[in-house]
Amino acid sequence: MQETKVQVRGGKFATDVLEAGSGSPLLYLHGWAGLQWDPFLEALSQHHHVIAPRHPGYGESSGDEHLVDYQDLLIYFLDLLDELGLNGIPVVAHSLGAMFAADIAALQPDRFSSITLIAPFGMWDPEHPVIDFFVSSPKDLARSIYADLDSDLARAASEAPKDDETRVAVALERAKSLRTAAKYLWPIPNRGLNKRIHRVSAPTLLIWGKQDGVCPPAYASDFEQGLSRATVLLIDNAGHYPQLEKQAAVVAAIENHLA
Amino acid sequence: MKIEMFHLMPYRELPEDFNEKYHSVWVDIPSHLFNAERAHSMYNDTLDELEYAAAMGYDGVCVNEHHQNAYGFMPSPNIMAAALARRTEDVALIVLGNSIALYNPPIRVAEEFAMLDCISGGRLVAGFPVGSSSDTNFGYGVNPATLRDRYYEAEDLIMQAWKNKDVFSFDGKYTQLRYVNIWPRPIQDPHPPIWIPGGGSIETWGWCIEKGYLYAYLSYSGFKRGKMVMDGFWNKAAELGAEPNPYQAGFLQLVAVGETESEVQDKYAEHGEYFYNKMLHVYPGFSDAPGYRTIDTVKAGLLGQTTQFGQRPAALTFKDLREQGNIVAGTPSQVTEQLEQVIKDLRIGHLMVLNQFGSIPHSTAMENIRLTAQKVLPNLRHLWPEWEDKWWPQALRNPQKPGPIHAPHSTPAK
Repeated sequence: MQETKVQVRGGKFATDVLEAGSGSPLLYLHGWAGLQWDPFLEALSQHHHVIAPRHPGYGESSGDEHLVDYQDLLIYFLDLLDELGLNGIPVVAHSLGAMFAADIAALQPDRFSSITLIAPFGMWDPEHPVIDFFVSSPKDLARSIYADLDSDLARAASEAPKDDETRVAVALERAKSLRTAAKYLWPIPNRGLNKRIHRVSAPTLLIWGKQDGVCPPAYASDFEQGLSRATVLLIDNAGHYPQLEKQAAVVAAIENHLA
Repeated sequence: MKIEMFHLMPYRELPEDFNEKYHSVWVDIPSHLFNAERAHSMYNDTLDELEYAAAMGYDGVCVNEHHQNAYGFMPSPNIMAAALARRTEDVALIVLGNSIALYNPPIRVAEEFAMLDCISGGRLVAGFPVGSSSDTNFGYGVNPATLRDRYYEAEDLIMQAWKNKDVFSFDGKYTQLRYVNIWPRPIQDPHPPIWIPGGGSIETWGWCIEKGYLYAYLSYSGFKRGKMVMDGFWNKAAELGAEPNPYQAGFLQLVAVGETESEVQDKYAEHGEYFYNKMLHVYPGFSDAPGYRTIDTVKAGLLGQTTQFGQRPAALTFKDLREQGNIVAGTPSQVTEQLEQVIKDLRIGHLMVLNQFGSIPHSTAMENIRLTAQKVLPNLRHLWPEWEDKWWPQALRNPQKPGPIHAPHSTPAK
């Protein structure tokens, strides 16, 4: 994996881009918790050239101060994709990033050749509220995120770092990530996607963990109804990160969707 | 030295088992716990207490804004100030304040404050808090990432509206107005004194000093923590070359006065504990939405922080609260001595006294006000004689008083 800085709009934004693999390009848009080169991206990079930008406000990706509202962010994405020369390519996106991907596709239906949305935000149903993860402690949050609380993944997420330096660094990064996510999801994660989603024309695969306690799978039908070409895959024994908890099944479904 | 009475407007009758049964006193407190008929009494008791304080010689009365909150259920302090304007004379009406980032357009605040200033004959102090995260982000849904930026823009718009005598346009990031035109204008020309209630953030100190506004540190942490914050403020003032006029600083302190030590214990211990242990039962997640504090402030907090997320402070006894300085309680001479020390240590020209806190019954609150006014205030007034208070309202010399109410048949003939 290599990481580069990409200057967008004459350097107003300096975006970290993680990439690896060879083959056809595939764009990945990360979720609200931030971007790490995880085993899922590693698996995708076995058959594709995965390109994963880190959104402004996360980590060292800069320029967030120029984004006052959601429209500013969507225009930033169009500039970024132009800068990267990405057009007519598949996108895989998770949670917050999946909301961005759906909106980009509504603005420019030809930008993506295929779309995979994993547990996307962007809709609001008071019967099935997306949890207010902004006020949850990391420990409480882990219970909503993971289907299997005894897994190494869930344990690692709910454990406090042992030494002070790491504790401060992790807490700061978490504060930055949540701050940036809140900018686009506050106070409820609805920026009006349901008014635009009918514009999305690329074949879309919707993947949801059946035990997703953050963004419940009930939203799958809202997305399915809004999209013209949608397939839904619900995965059992998976929470908000089915791509990590049931990686093999998710990767297989994506490869099949791309084939 | 100026001494004002501050009222939070607490709900005095939360259930015994509130902490065990309910999540938070703020934001998601169940509304079925609110009894409107009891609130009728509590609102009127509060107005009576503030009016009594005014009549007893306090220099000002202070009201503030909270939302979805049982320790302060005064979402519109302007309504309280309007009522106070009619039944008080001479006393300053200190609204601390309106969370200006919440109002769209913020011109609403410029208008209502102008109305209050006109009705009261120029007795208004205009307070502009950023607002707590619980109130602004959770209660009113304002995006934490842009709250502070909205606040600065709102302050700019309101001040322009007060200073500019001509109709003008305003093209802000958050508010656009083709015709900005304040009608009415405040009596105090160009505007009432501006007080900034703060919770201790470093950005606010420098901003107050540069703008020439009063900085009022409002917390329930008492004077020991207050000393750290006010030292920070004065260091910043020195750094920026501002004169150290104590009247540019205010501080809130809980005060309980009794004739004897046993009276102090009997009358206030239970209510002090009610305030700190029950009214401040706030879910920690609601006190700091992501982005409410700047990353630098978060970092500073993390480096000094010892408690983990979700830990609530242990229950405090009245004794703890007195020792830690959260509550200044004692006989008149003890309280006078302690407050004089607080005033000097913190270098404040405005002491805002919270005489009613927690579940203090109305009659006890009135007694606390009386003792404070008669036996404490007169012995503190002499402080800071060498400084001029430039942050005090300039009221009309001969304001009109509320007229008598006549039934139509008894209207005097002209």
